[in-house]
Amino acid sequence: MRALVIDDSRAMRRIVSGILEGLGYETRQAGHGREGLDVLETGWVPDLACVDWNMPVMDGLQFVSAVRSNPALRSMTIMMVTSESEHTQIVRALAAGAHEYVIKPFTADAIRDKLALLGLLPQEAVL
Amino acid sequence: MTTIDTGERRRGADTRPVITELIDEATVEAIAQEAWISLVGEDEVLVPLPGEPVADPLSSWVDVVGPWTGSVVLTTGRRTAEELTRALLREHSPEVLEDEDVADAFGEIANVVGGNVKAALPGSSGLSLPDVGDAPALRNPEDVCRVDLLWRGETVSISVQGALPPLPAH
Repeated sequence: MRALVIDDSRAMRRIVSGILEGLGYETRQAGHGREGLDVLETGWVPDLACVDWNMPVMDGLQFVSAVRSNPALRSMTIMMVTSESEHTQIVRALAAGAHEYVIKPFTADAIRDKLALLGLLPQEAVL
Repeated sequence: MTTIDTGERRRGADTRPVITELIDEATVEAIAQEAWISLVGEDEVLVPLPGEPVADPLSSWVDVVGPWTGSVVLTTGRRTAEELTRALLREHSPEVLEDEDVADAFGEIANVVGGNVKAALPGSSGLSLPDVGDAPALRNPEDVCRVDLLWRGETVSISVQGALPPLPAH
């Protein structure tokens, strides 16, 4: 399974990618939404995108809207991973087309549990 | 139509909350503890004790704009910020840390702490991207909620401080 991790913090990208790789994902990283779209435009379409909210150039909400307006990317699951924890923000992200929402700070178990809920735990992580 | 000036509108505009009316030190400390355990490491705790003054300080902060406007500022020594960066990056930490690595990791901690402080405040607010450098100036000594903590014996302070000067006294 493939995952695209989009966060303007390199440290956070490494943490999230490390968790996903530990579960068996192949990952790629992007520093903001526009970079994330650039990755998708190469034809590398992931099963999952983990997306921060507050980023320069293109924020997470704009990325979600851009992905959802492209029918070719309909199968991609989007999980917001962000410190934006206000209820109204969560509702906005879900309304825009995100499937799940993880609030920073999080634990590796929290990510794993969300992926299990989404049916996106790789086989090797289930065993 | 005659409008009667009761002074209500002016009184409303002449008041604004200070941070100590909105959040307390225990909440800020709890937010920081949770961030530390998640980001820095499960065994990493912040001890609620004031430490020695920081000799070579470095701050990271995010701005909150809303019903209350100000900054959430983390300050520690530069070497401690480097240690925090290594703890955050774990096995991905480069042998030689660049300033950029420290700014990125220390800024992300401010982002996580600041985001959760924002969520604890009433009303809807915006959050800036993190910044790193010399701490923003304290504008109003009454509009500050500060906690002093120790991490691995080194001072880490978290200051939730208003961006606006005090209102003139009437």
